[in-house]
Amino acid sequence: MEISLAWRLFKRELLQGQLVLIVLAITLAVLSVTGLARVSERLQIAINGQASKFIAADRIINSPVKIDESFIAKAEELGLAHVSSMQFNSMVFAEDKFQLVTVRAVGEGYPLKGKIELNSDSGTHSAEGTGLPGSGQLWFETRLGGLLAYPESLELGNRQFTLSEEISRLPDAGFNPFASSPVVLIRLDDVASTGVIQPGSRVTYLAQFSGAEEQLKRFESYAKPKLTSSQRWVDVQSGESPIADAVKRAERFLLLASLLGIALACAAIGIAAQRYCHRHYDVVAMLKTFGASGRQIRTLFGMHLLLVTLFGVTLGLLGGFALDAIITSFLPEEIAAYSPPFIRPILLGLATGFISAFMFSAYPLMRLLSIPPLRVLQRQLEGLQLGMWLHLLLSLSAMALLGYLYSKSLPLTLTVVAGVLLLGVLLSILGFLMIRMGHSIGMKTTNPLQLALAGLRRRAKQNAVQLVGFSSALVLLLTILALRQDLLSEWQNQLPENAPNYFLVNISPDEEAALGDYLKANTVKTTDIYPVVRGRLTEINGERLISAEQEKAGAKGRLGISRELNLTWRDALPPNNEILEGEFNANEDDVSVESGVAERLGIKIGDSLTYVIDNQRLVVNVASLRAVHWETLQPNFFMIFTHASLAPFSHTSMASFHLEDNKQGVILDIIKQFPTVSIIDVGTMIKQLRQIIDQVSLSLTLVLVLVVLASSLVMIAQTEAGMATRQRELAVLRTFGASGWLLRMATGLEFALLGTVAGFLAVIVAEFTLYLLKTQVFELNVYMHWPWWGIAPVCGALTVALLGVWRCRQLLSKSCADLLKAG
Amino acid sequence: MSEVSAITVKNLVKSVATQEGELTILNGINMDVKQGQSIAILGPSGSGKSTLLGLLAALDTPTSGEIILDGVALQSLDEEKKAALRKQKVSFIFQSFMLVDTLNALENVMLPAELAGINRAKEKAEAMLERVGLSHRLTHFPNQLSGGEQQRVAIARAFICEPKVLFADEPTGNLDAVNSEKVANMLFELNRECETTLVLVTHDLVLAKRCERQLLMDTGVITESPGEPSDGSALSSKPAPSHLASVEAL
Repeated sequence: MEISLAWRLFKRELLQGQLVLIVLAITLAVLSVTGLARVSERLQIAINGQASKFIAADRIINSPVKIDESFIAKAEELGLAHVSSMQFNSMVFAEDKFQLVTVRAVGEGYPLKGKIELNSDSGTHSAEGTGLPGSGQLWFETRLGGLLAYPESLELGNRQFTLSEEISRLPDAGFNPFASSPVVLIRLDDVASTGVIQPGSRVTYLAQFSGAEEQLKRFESYAKPKLTSSQRWVDVQSGESPIADAVKRAERFLLLASLLGIALACAAIGIAAQRYCHRHYDVVAMLKTFGASGRQIRTLFGMHLLLVTLFGVTLGLLGGFALDAIITSFLPEEIAAYSPPFIRPILLGLATGFISAFMFSAYPLMRLLSIPPLRVLQRQLEGLQLGMWLHLLLSLSAMALLGYLYSKSLPLTLTVVAGVLLLGVLLSILGFLMIRMGHSIGMKTTNPLQLALAGLRRRAKQNAVQLVGFSSALVLLLTILALRQDLLSEWQNQLPENAPNYFLVNISPDEEAALGDYLKANTVKTTDIYPVVRGRLTEINGERLISAEQEKAGAKGRLGISRELNLTWRDALPPNNEILEGEFNANEDDVSVESGVAERLGIKIGDSLTYVIDNQRLVVNVASLRAVHWETLQPNFFMIFTHASLAPFSHTSMASFHLEDNKQGVILDIIKQFPTVSIIDVGTMIKQLRQIIDQVSLSLTLVLVLVVLASSLVMIAQTEAGMATRQRELAVLRTFGASGWLLRMATGLEFALLGTVAGFLAVIVAEFTLYLLKTQVFELNVYMHWPWWGIAPVCGALTVALLGVWRCRQLLSKSCADLLKAG
Repeated sequence: MSEVSAITVKNLVKSVATQEGELTILNGINMDVKQGQSIAILGPSGSGKSTLLGLLAALDTPTSGEIILDGVALQSLDEEKKAALRKQKVSFIFQSFMLVDTLNALENVMLPAELAGINRAKEKAEAMLERVGLSHRLTHFPNQLSGGEQQRVAIARAFICEPKVLFADEPTGNLDAVNSEKVANMLFELNRECETTLVLVTHDLVLAKRCERQLLMDTGVITESPGEPSDGSALSSKPAPSHLASVEAL
């Protein structure tokens, strides 16, 4: 009987719209979790996939010595694809010309991720159909062709190679405008026949791996501890990837926003559940009067809530998958084609629906079930009062449980729960104080404002609770809005529309003017010109530095950098640089050092550094340490000197500029007119980066939309709850002849005042929250959002007032008798 | 009318704690109602009528005293047993009808029968609704019915389980004169047919006079109304208050 009655009640209440709020709240929570879990998993794979193209693999071992075969064997055992390659510098000869080149010798299967872009008469195409150079063949970078006047073949060591294809870009070429020697690509098994690798030769050995994430992780936990100090583990999130930072921040943001979205949806469930139970008080009293047993009532309402939850969960799951489908339709085909397993999002969605519905409803349900039958005669009687602490405890536990299931991170979950709790307490205190501050005003029924103020004061306690609801929704909305905006604009700043897509390096001083004139004549504006002096850091505070090779050979001493550095001079701090300590180059013999390299070499402010440049010694003092944003695709320098320090040495220059796609002729002209100038095209890389940023932005926008929905639902649920406390009063005033206009205005004003206070409180708390998040989690610049101080209270007032008036209009359309009865 | 008691009340006291101290609502009530008898309890607001009704119907617990309902001493029962007793023997009609808004007329009437596990609840409910003249309103929801119709649905609901005792709290309180008359006729007709004991709390003297006995409540004390035939089964240990005339005038 109970089950059929529960079904009947559920069906009718659903059709009559009484379950809209609670079903919507459950649906939204489930939809958020399911949709976000699936979309973020898909995007994560997409982002990692894109990012892995930058390293042509998912993971890399980079080593100065031959990589142990045991790594390869383990990778094979785990079913990972792998490719070995070598990289070294060598001279190539073509007739009477010679050139230093960087040789990439790659094994079959290269690249595991991404494509080799080749040039042809008809433009750029990928090497997919072409595979790799054949034995005895060599693929070359465009500028090598220019430098050696396009010979048919060239010599590398003892071996003659035919030039077969022109490379536009290798996927893992990276961004290094200083890579002055052109790259050539040969087969790995051709290296031995060249005879250029001798014991002691400087070679970088690379083992690249790709495969399923789980296997990769297992491989990582196997391989990482076994690496020597000179070997490096590289993945898409290693600092070397230009998008690592963006991806990490986006991941953090997505997780945080999702958790807050879930918390908001849960809050909406909590409020809706209270209303849901309250509406059934009379039914329970009546059923008990007619002799329903405790078990019958428990079964009836347990089943009823189960049906409501099942319905909400089903809608939520469908909505989540629809959301995923919609988002997927915006994604590139290769990403859309990948379908992550359904099981995790479904399980998460189910857990969210049931945990949130039952734990948030537990206390209201307990009260409902304890409603005494005598309520049929004495309407003021309610169920047991165990206190709000129990409700709070159950709700926070539900939130924590869900947060943990979703994020799998206990610290993050506890932080969010503690934050929500703190937010609630803070808002309650502030809200209560602000309402108490209002002057006591009598109950006058002629003026809507006085009626509204009187209402606010009389219901101070309920209003404080409502304020918490309204403000929390606004705080979280503002926080997510601001973070998303800041992240997007930061990425936009890194890669502005006219970001330089070409770099010119090796510009000799006597070519500088002619090149400048040429570019000017072709209306190409260079953005920056940096002088470059090559030099080696040899001593710190008089202590001689040793190389990694020397250290390996047993030499004692302080470890230095085993290569020549590109040094520059600047009068002012370059953009994308930030002084962390000291003052930028105030004296002639000052030098500014990048903080990462300073940390690695143990350099501090005041240290003296000795360089050898053109066989001459230069001693300078460290005056400042700088943070450099490497991800900006701008030329960045470890060491920046004053002009006076470097003036005596010979230098070349480098420049960068943005070239429209339709002006490619300029590049060919530069190659012809200035053959010694190297041109580096980073346009393709920028396009790929933009694609990643676009995908990340999409996910951020998606989360924002869900947070907006969740906030709106909390506001609607809260208004609904607020109207319930006002219903009887409205009925009485209506009965005594108050006009609909007066009541709507008074309700609107009361809610508008509440909304204003909520908006104001929300800005205060949001600024504080943002300060903490930006400084502690996202490393973003902190600033005040002044426009919010005006917009948030106004928007809060308008939204809440409109919701209140809308609900009031609905109530006033009923007869007084109905209102009094329902109230 | 049977000589067997349906309700026996002995020294019934109900007190509640208030901020000003203990307030006695019912002060030593003694009464006896025979099976099939109809009694009206009259009295001014706050006299304790509804409190008495709640106690008699096993909805509330007395401070002291004894109530025997159809041979069962209520004080010996816990809440679950009281609920079971209500399910088997008792039914109700309320001033505010207390219909479930989201169930239609038929489903509202079926409700007590379903709770009691009675077979063919639907057919019985249909018959009851036909009996109260609402066979054309089976699928209507409470908000689609007039006040009089809603109370007729409530009457059908009250009789579906053929209760031994029916408690009615101001059954015509929310109705106009015409509907009051209709509802009252129906109530007494069914009451006679089913030989139900009727305990009716009302302000309406006309309605009260249709009952076989009228009891007057004032400040927690009950007395038999003067001038009405009494079979001596109703007892009052205390003299009638002097201002009973005002109750009569209600």
